[in-house]
Amino acid sequence: MEERVPEIWVFGDYRNYFQNRVTLQLLSRATDLAAQLHASVCATVFGHQVDEWVGEYIAHGAKKIYVVEDESLKDYSTDLYVTLMERLAREYTPEIILVGATTFGREFAPRVAKRLGTGLTADCVGLDINKDGLLVQTAPAFGGNLLARIITPEKRPQMATVRPGIFQEIPHNYQATGEVVMIPLPDDLPRDRVRLISSERKPPTIQKLEDAAVVVCGGRGMAGKNKFRNLYELARLLGGEVGATRPVVYSKWADDEALVGQADKHIRPKVLFSFGISGAIQHTAGIIDAGFIIAVNKNPNAAMMKMADVAITADANQVCLALVKELKKRLRG
Amino acid sequence: MKHKMVRKTVREFSEAELGPIAHEMDRDARFPWEVVEKMRPLNFFGLQVPKEYGGADLDSISYSIVVEEISRVSGAMGLCVTVHNSVGIYPILRFGTDEQKKRFVPRLASGECIGAFCLTEANAGSDASGVETHAVSLGDGYIINGTKIFVTNGGVCSLPLIFAVTNAADSARSAGVFILESDMAGYSVGEIEDLCGMRANPVSSLFFEDCRVPQENLLGKVGDGIKIALATLDTGRIGIAAQAVGIAQAAFEASVKYSKERQQFRKPIAAFQSIQNMLADMATEIDAARLLVYRVCALKDAGKPFGKEAAMAKLYSSTVSSSVTGRAVQIHGGYGYSKEYDVERYFRDAKVTEIYEGTSEIQRLVISRSVLNELT
Amino acid sequence: MIRMIVCIKQVPMASELPWDAKTGTLKRELADGMMNPACKHALEAALTLKSRYGGNVAAITMGPPMAEEILREAIAMGADRCLMLSDPAMAGADTLVTSYTLAKAIEIFSPDFDLILTGCHTTDSETAQVGPQLAEELDIPVLTYVDSMDLKDNTIRIKRLSDNFLETLEADLPCLVTVNTQHFQPRYVTLSGLQDAFEDHNILTVSASDLALDPASIGINGSPTRIIDVYAPRAEKENIVLKGAPKKIVEELFDRFESRIGGVIKKDLKREG
Repeated sequence: MEERVPEIWVFGDYRNYFQNRVTLQLLSRATDLAAQLHASVCATVFGHQVDEWVGEYIAHGAKKIYVVEDESLKDYSTDLYVTLMERLAREYTPEIILVGATTFGREFAPRVAKRLGTGLTADCVGLDINKDGLLVQTAPAFGGNLLARIITPEKRPQMATVRPGIFQEIPHNYQATGEVVMIPLPDDLPRDRVRLISSERKPPTIQKLEDAAVVVCGGRGMAGKNKFRNLYELARLLGGEVGATRPVVYSKWADDEALVGQADKHIRPKVLFSFGISGAIQHTAGIIDAGFIIAVNKNPNAAMMKMADVAITADANQVCLALVKELKKRLRG
Repeated sequence: MKHKMVRKTVREFSEAELGPIAHEMDRDARFPWEVVEKMRPLNFFGLQVPKEYGGADLDSISYSIVVEEISRVSGAMGLCVTVHNSVGIYPILRFGTDEQKKRFVPRLASGECIGAFCLTEANAGSDASGVETHAVSLGDGYIINGTKIFVTNGGVCSLPLIFAVTNAADSARSAGVFILESDMAGYSVGEIEDLCGMRANPVSSLFFEDCRVPQENLLGKVGDGIKIALATLDTGRIGIAAQAVGIAQAAFEASVKYSKERQQFRKPIAAFQSIQNMLADMATEIDAARLLVYRVCALKDAGKPFGKEAAMAKLYSSTVSSSVTGRAVQIHGGYGYSKEYDVERYFRDAKVTEIYEGTSEIQRLVISRSVLNELT
Repeated sequence: MIRMIVCIKQVPMASELPWDAKTGTLKRELADGMMNPACKHALEAALTLKSRYGGNVAAITMGPPMAEEILREAIAMGADRCLMLSDPAMAGADTLVTSYTLAKAIEIFSPDFDLILTGCHTTDSETAQVGPQLAEELDIPVLTYVDSMDLKDNTIRIKRLSDNFLETLEADLPCLVTVNTQHFQPRYVTLSGLQDAFEDHNILTVSASDLALDPASIGINGSPTRIIDVYAPRAEKENIVLKGAPKKIVEELFDRFESRIGGVIKKDLKREG
């Protein structure tokens, strides 16, 4: 009997195609993993009028696509897709199934795993093959404070949902070819128990502070409402937004909208200036995803100073004013 | 497990609702009505009140934990809650008629009305016999005239208890405690005191000018005043001791955190033995104070006499609180002296715990009397 | 009148926990525990539905003995009864086996229910898997990340945001929903509620044998996934300290980090001249 090539399957999550690139990212990683396992990269696509996605997935690394196409599948239905995936997996026995950790994926994947009686690791930030040929799934815990490496030693397929943005997609290859396997819709599919009443695409909300690439945050160390206002000038010059800590908002030096913290807005700027902030956990929990952090505080031991890439020990207000002055000079030229 | 959960629940509430504004409350001497609004349905104003009057019916240790945890975040609010519960409601529960309990306790337990106990006057601090506020009997009621000073919750209370004498010549045997309502004619509130600490608590004078009080508002009978006042103070001391422990705990936690972060001589200052010794002493003293509070709670709930033990708890906790907060400022160095850090507030708040509800000197009097009177 | 079950979990109050390589589990006993925030939202949702439609709320948890705290808290918030699943054999369970164990307990102790509510995910393992897997085990429909719920006759209608799609979905009861933390702000526990939760209630505790569960099929032994290692990711901050006069500091900042800052604001910040 011919030895079957093991298959790594990537679920085709094509909704929101242009913002959601996770399927392509997974196809890229699957290609790396397949090389180590001498396996082949496949994708699954369920839906209606899906040729575009089939083409995209082949161009981005899939060598085989399992397609179930029917008008009844035109909107995502978790119930139907779970059953389809279960049946396909039982018939074709993939070694690994990868699903993007979108809201859909995070419900879809566990249900498939349960039906197949196998293990699933959620929201992975790493996928590797170890010396025993097992998929090592790296997943965050405690908000990313800890990472766990997990394996599924016996049950198959090995399954993982993967966080979008972790892997890089392979550039579009117009020459790529792949096999398309059309699977007819089973006629004994159970009725979908969840009825879709309405679905509308929400326009992406403008979240100025949460999406800003540069944020200037100020705390009690700015000493007063008028001095705090200087931060707005700095933010304007940097093309960024102003954030504030809770005491500042309570003292009405800034609006509620500016509140950054654990229970408020979480920001992910590439550059964060932090003025006169001590670094209480209620605030810092909102900035853990910040990139380059410059903190200014009279007190060199403030927790915020320890978290920063650059810690400036000086009066926050004076540094703010000096920054504004220097920026104006350099931007003029 | 229950006590642990009480601590967790109150800590969570205090940190979320009072934590962010504690500094500003103290700076502006602002009483946080918006937080009081949230505290009302959670039984903070009826901690040991029986269920039938709308209270939580907590045991005394749970009560102390509540006061300690609020005080750990805001000494001023901890003060409001303990004074309201202990000296504001307790006398009515202990000495009131059923009719009085039904009439007044639910309104206090729900937080609709805030209570207070008014004893101190210009000439009557430690020496209660100097009280001049007098109540003249009219047959169906009394007319009260006088001034009470340094009334905790003065600016916000609406059902305060007033200690007054009916016969100036024999104040000890003619004193009575009267339940007043703030909307009575002749009742007015003086200016809020500008105090060193506990600034968010509106401490003020209360003026009574020909204030007419109905007979039904007299607690017990004329002559019961001293007895009620002493029993009330004994109970009140438990809450003040718990409050002092909470403030000391906050200062201690801040000191531990700071000493791990602050680096001098290329090490965190927590690596130096003099800081370690200070922290060790602070931890031990706070623990001892807390256990003294729990001990008197156990006695009280068992129905045993607890006057001496209450005085001991109050004396020791307040002394420890002042001392621990002082050391906390010291550990923080120059930064501890600045309002940028909370320790200077704990330091200012702690001091008064040695003064009100019986000065430390009075506590020593109570304890020594008890010790000297003990049967040998 | 709706009969509801809320599955809640106790998670550590710490932001990280040491992992015991010998047992392959986190050392939960080292930190204080709290009710997982999303679970609390689920409980609040159940209590809200109870006050709207009438009914009762049962809270279930699987955990070590210290997890009893969150059941007491649930009662203090308004749950009517509780069930504690506790057995050393259940420890180290991954989501497949947790959902299996919970399902067995529900089938035995509370088989007549209309709605099961769970939090969307926990702050420790963050898998968001137990809800959907429990629904599969019980063979009932599942609706995840719900923002709002309405009940009518024997159906539930929910609204949620899923991958930029605002969806309104409906299912017949019995059904399971997972609740996110955007809505259903949990009420504070009243102190009288807490007092009653300890004085007036007995918590039923069951072990693996009470549920007729084979130890090999639960806990770490029954879990298809295995944690092989837990570690803290390296902190990468260099923490460069700048001191001195503000003017000098600022010049140094822009000179040294011109590309890092300039690259992001897409402007040239080099010193002129």
